[in-house]
Amino acid sequence: MAGNPFPDSPYDIRSDLLSAHEAALAAIARPGTWLTGEQRVWIAEEVRNARTCPACAELREALSPGNLSLEHTSLGNLSPAQVDIVHRVVTDPGRLSERWCRGHIDDGMPEGEFVEMIGVIAMTVIMDTFAFGLGLPEAVLPGPAAGEPSRYLPPGARREAAWLPIVEPGDETPEDGPLYPTPTAGYIHRALSMVPQSKRDYWNLAGAHYLEGKRVYDFGDSGRAISRPQIEIIAARISALHQCLY
Amino acid sequence: MLRESSNAADSEIDLHDITEGYRHDTDIEHAELLMGFAEAVARRDENGTSAHRQKMLELMGEPATVDAAAIAAAFHGFVRLADAIGIPYEGAAGGTDSTEMRDEIGISDFYRARHA
Repeated sequence: MAGNPFPDSPYDIRSDLLSAHEAALAAIARPGTWLTGEQRVWIAEEVRNARTCPACAELREALSPGNLSLEHTSLGNLSPAQVDIVHRVVTDPGRLSERWCRGHIDDGMPEGEFVEMIGVIAMTVIMDTFAFGLGLPEAVLPGPAAGEPSRYLPPGARREAAWLPIVEPGDETPEDGPLYPTPTAGYIHRALSMVPQSKRDYWNLAGAHYLEGKRVYDFGDSGRAISRPQIEIIAARISALHQCLY
Repeated sequence: MLRESSNAADSEIDLHDITEGYRHDTDIEHAELLMGFAEAVARRDENGTSAHRQKMLELMGEPATVDAAAIAAAFHGFVRLADAIGIPYEGAAGGTDSTEMRDEIGISDFYRARHA
C-alpha cells in the first residue's frame, strides 16, 4: 500500500481518513473486475484532466448538452467512449441522462465496465476534492499493478430500478462477497453493486469522509468534529449545486 | 437527512437556503460559513475556499475544518454515483420528500426532474 498521501499537510488528518485514502489509491491501481490496473489509473488521470477540457466548459454552458457533439481534450490513453464518460461525470453530473448512459452501452461498452468506471471516477473526485478543500496537493497516483480483470458478473444483478443493473438486497450470493450491512440499504448503497469490489472500495473511502454506516440513521452523536445538522447542510448544499435529485 | 438531523437537534432550517444559498433563516451554528465553504469547493474557487477555510480554522478549529472538507468531498462522490448510475430518486430521504416540497424549493426545476 502507498504511504501517507498528504505528507506535507499542516493539518492533523484523522488516521482513518488517511488509511481510507491509502486504501483507495491502492485499489485504483489494482486490476478490477472489468478494467486493468493500467486502465483504472488512466481513468483517475483523466478525471484530473477533465477539469480543464474546453469542450466540457462549452457543454456546461449549453442548454441541452445531449444535442451537442464536441471532442473532449483527453490525455489519449482511453477510448473516446471512456473519455466521454469520465468528462461528463466529472464536469456536469447533474445533466446526465438515461439516453446518454444507454447510448454508451448500446455502442458496445459492457455495463460492468461502465459501473466500474463510475466507481473509480467517484473515488478520485472524493480524494481530490478533499485535498482541494484543505488546500493540499492532490495525491500522487500510484503505478498500476499487473493482472487481468476477473469479469465477474453477480448472478443477481438486474436492470430494473436504475439505468444500469444493480443487485438488490436479498439477491446477493456468497460469491459476490459482502454487499449490504442491512437489507434496507438505500439506492445510493446499491448503485455500484453490479461490481461488488468497486462498491466495497468506494464505500470504504466514502464512509470515512461522511459517516460510519452505523451512524447514518443515528441523528445524535455524529462521531465527527461537526454536528450532524452541520454535516447535512454541507451535504445538501453540495447536492443542490450539482442539481442532484437524490 | 438534514431535516431529520435538524429536528433531532432542535434546529430551524429553511430549505430555500439549500437551493438558493444562505438567507439567514437557517438556525444551525456556522451555517453561513459552512455553506460558503461548500459553495467555494463545489465551484473550485481557490481563493474562496481558502478564505472560508481560514475562517473555519479560527472559529471552529482544525478537526472541524478537516471534517467539513471531508463531508464536502464525500458528496462530490455521492452525486456522481447517483447521477451516473441513474438510481431512482423517489426513494431518497426515505421517500419523505413530497412533490409539493420539491416544487416549493425549486428541486423540480433541476435538469433531471425536468427531463424525467
